[in-house]
Amino acid sequence: MYELLNRLTQTFGVSGNEEPIRELIINEIKDKVDEIKTDALGNLIALKKGNADAQNHKKFMIAAHMDEIGVIATHIDDKGYIRFSNIGGVSPYTSIGQKVEFKNGITGVVSYEQKLDDIKNLKLSKMYIDIGTKSREETEKFVKIGDTACFCGSFVKQGDFAISKAMDNRAGCAVATEVINILSKTGTDNDIYFVFTVQEELGLRGAKTAAYQIMPDYAIAVDVTRTGDTPESHIMEVKLGEGPAIKIKDSSILCHPAVKSLLEAAAKRANIPYQYEILEGGGTDVGAIHTTGGGVPSGAVSIPTRYIHSPTEMISLKDLENAAKLVAEAVR
Amino acid sequence: MEIKSILKELTKENGASGYEHNVSQILANHLRKYCDDVQVDKLGSVIGRKKGSNPSRKILITAHYDEIGLLVTSIDKEGFIRFTKIGGIDPKILLATEVVIHGKNSIPGVIGAKPPHLLSPEDRNKTMGLQDLYIDTGMNYEEITQYVSIGDYITFKPVSLELKSNYFSSKALDNRCSFASMLVALEELKNLKHECDIYFAATVQEEIGLTGGITVSYNIDPDMAIVVDVCHGDMPDVPKEVTFPCGKGPAIAVGPVLNKKFTNKLIDKAKYENIKYQIDVEPGGTGTEAWATQVSRCGIPTVLISIPLRYMHTAVETLNITDLTETGKLIARFAASLTDEDFEKKEEIPAWICKF
Repeated sequence: MYELLNRLTQTFGVSGNEEPIRELIINEIKDKVDEIKTDALGNLIALKKGNADAQNHKKFMIAAHMDEIGVIATHIDDKGYIRFSNIGGVSPYTSIGQKVEFKNGITGVVSYEQKLDDIKNLKLSKMYIDIGTKSREETEKFVKIGDTACFCGSFVKQGDFAISKAMDNRAGCAVATEVINILSKTGTDNDIYFVFTVQEELGLRGAKTAAYQIMPDYAIAVDVTRTGDTPESHIMEVKLGEGPAIKIKDSSILCHPAVKSLLEAAAKRANIPYQYEILEGGGTDVGAIHTTGGGVPSGAVSIPTRYIHSPTEMISLKDLENAAKLVAEAVR
Repeated sequence: MEIKSILKELTKENGASGYEHNVSQILANHLRKYCDDVQVDKLGSVIGRKKGSNPSRKILITAHYDEIGLLVTSIDKEGFIRFTKIGGIDPKILLATEVVIHGKNSIPGVIGAKPPHLLSPEDRNKTMGLQDLYIDTGMNYEEITQYVSIGDYITFKPVSLELKSNYFSSKALDNRCSFASMLVALEELKNLKHECDIYFAATVQEEIGLTGGITVSYNIDPDMAIVVDVCHGDMPDVPKEVTFPCGKGPAIAVGPVLNKKFTNKLIDKAKYENIKYQIDVEPGGTGTEAWATQVSRCGIPTVLISIPLRYMHTAVETLNITDLTETGKLIARFAASLTDEDFEKKEEIPAWICKF
């Protein structure tokens, strides 16, 4: 699975510019699903058909957002430096000294105004991207305002751990893809709609329109979550390597008990380690899905991840594999 | 078309968010001059349809017509009125403004506060908050309670000013100026052929949560949407990155929540027609109805055009008339240029996704 994760994380897909990552996922899954379509907003929707005659035949939606955070060029100065704003949650402090890559492959360095009196006053508006050009005209040959860039963060596998940019949420995309692989072998009674959503980082936007079209019986989001296992971290029970986390709540949703029980039962049945997630800040796609139409009972399986929204997001590959097994067992 | 007198007419009437009913018929009458049919929907949004020659495609153009305002929260024993906000208002700009309270009658009032002479030295350097301000109508408790009760809404006293060099100032230019630009567009469309049905919607309650934008885009279910609103004009001591010079044409938004294909077409059209425009980079939420229309139903390709406006959310919002007329021209020529081929292939939601 890590080979796929490597390719997924390293492919460009800043919110609103998900085309490259979508192409990669299409190629990965198109031969393994019954139907596939890109919708008006750019969501990729794929169906793995179940047995319509099966008892309790249901319609499941599995949502994994494929967009990643990044930056957008807002202004180019006379000397060719690029001023930028954030797409999604970008901390100025983690941005210092990072490399960013525009969709066309142009790489820049993120730095800040040297006159800054106190690093506490650092804001993105005091920062700039340097692509090594000498004038506005020269910069404009490569980058124009409105262009987006992702952070660079190479993929490293070390024992069970993997580090990369965009684990949020290519880890979820890898899980959804693996669920498709598993179901291709086991078959499924239920109809499973896999949705690789757009613009989650901007406010769960793709999931909303996708759910409106599908109106599933149940929805499960696969996304990353924070952990409480680093030095002096916030109190949170989730730990890296202790299994996928069944979401209880975050700031976007209180998960439906039916979906929570479904996931617990699947984990016990298949002997998969799991933990519970209560995320104090942040949301995920089911936050938008569960209030769509007349309501969709929803839950989520989260991949414990350290250093979320940095170019060095860290996960456990074991958790990743178990997340896929858990979701596949729960929905089929 | 006398644009300044139209602006005066549009901004004179009061219609705070949720209380737009005084304005809706004025807008409907304007739309009736140009549209094939006009209706006011359940929440108060005013929608005019101008039929195209090949009505298989629908374009929705929206501009909200509510304005920010205040709401009576209590009346004290002396008859002074305390209030809260409808929409985003900075309490700093309220002191010493003239307002109208919309009770049983329209009652004029002024917003007062403790004068600086009587403030303690520490308080003198503090800015006034909402809790320090009140409205004085001249009436005592017994008199005022005959006309005003808790929950009545309040708007700025309408005063419009023609400034030099084609500038214009008034309350409620956010966003009645965009409605005026729609009228410019409708006037232009008299001389243009257009294939698509074009819906002109003046929407309600944008300032308190995009309400009209949500419901209108759901009801009309267009093939694409053009949202017209205001952006910050250039002002002293404000960084260039967040403002747009007045008089240099409308700002076309680019960013992740706007449709790239139609935005590029819009920019190309502006270039082709020699209409001045500026680029407005929007990294996330635009603070406009475009945020709602894009994710309505299965997702609606949306573009955003903004008219630069100084002193937004005050009684002296100021703009350059040229930006308004250029916006109208651009909308009309862009909408008229769109044909069936410009849209994605028309398809129902495939049966494998949903059968409803």
